Amino acid sequence: MSAATITPFPRQAPPTILVVEDEVLMRSLISDELRARGFKVIEASSADDAIAVLETMRVDLLFVDIHLPGPRSGLDVAQLVQARSLPTRILLTSGKDWIADLPALADLIPFVRKPYLVSRVIELVTRSLNWPTAPEA
Amino acid sequence: MSNASTHVTPKPGASLQTILVVEDEILVRLAIADYLRECGYKVHEAVNAQEALAMLQSPQVAIDIVFSDVQMPGDMDGFGLARWVRANKPGVQVILTSGVERSADIAASLCEAGPLLMKPYPPQDVIDRIRQLSAKSHRS
Repeated sequence: MSAATITPFPRQAPPTILVVEDEVLMRSLISDELRARGFKVIEASSADDAIAVLETMRVDLLFVDIHLPGPRSGLDVAQLVQARSLPTRILLTSGKDWIADLPALADLIPFVRKPYLVSRVIELVTRSLNWPTAPEA
Repeated sequence: MSNASTHVTPKPGASLQTILVVEDEILVRLAIADYLRECGYKVHEAVNAQEALAMLQSPQVAIDIVFSDVQMPGDMDGFGLARWVRANKPGVQVILTSGVERSADIAASLCEAGPLLMKPYPPQDVIDRIRQLSAKSHRS
């Protein structure tokens, strides 16, 4: 086989996931697991920080806890993504029952309840982004 | 930010240290954490001293170096965090950074790596400080 017969395809950049979680050990754990599977992960602890990231760079998937410290919640971040038509998929999480308060949203946005299995989150993220699961680092 | 001539390329089978980046400004933290990961370091992130303490006290997390801003919201600043690490985690080394001129004496007494790394810092300066720490710990 000669070099002329080889067609190089551009390396696909991994999707960027923004993990928004105020419990640092949980945020670190899920972020590390996502990185081990080849994703680029950005960590934020508040809605304000998440919005600062969304306004600065492309994020392919927002994985956000609904209940965050500060005046704005994870739902505010999710609603901002939708209001601005950002190309960002959303996966919500919470340890509390919020669906009763916002039934309209419950049908629109995927949700995983805490405590969650890391494997479940990985499955949801991989499926949402249609990204092949990379071998663990 | 990536530059092949400044990358620290780990040898096969070797692993670089684990660094805890403590910085409340998310875009600053993101930039330096990404750079350190690209250079082969394992990086954990904390937005303030309280989060840093939770990481340092977790049996699931092993940290070699703390790279912390001095000015952070909350009850403890970077100096307080460095003092805590000195008292409770003597094997963990500390590099402090600040955008404010501080007494060199305060920083020097808390950081094995010398004076504060002043912001804005070139990312390579962080790598150089880490290498200094590594060389020092190998000699001792």
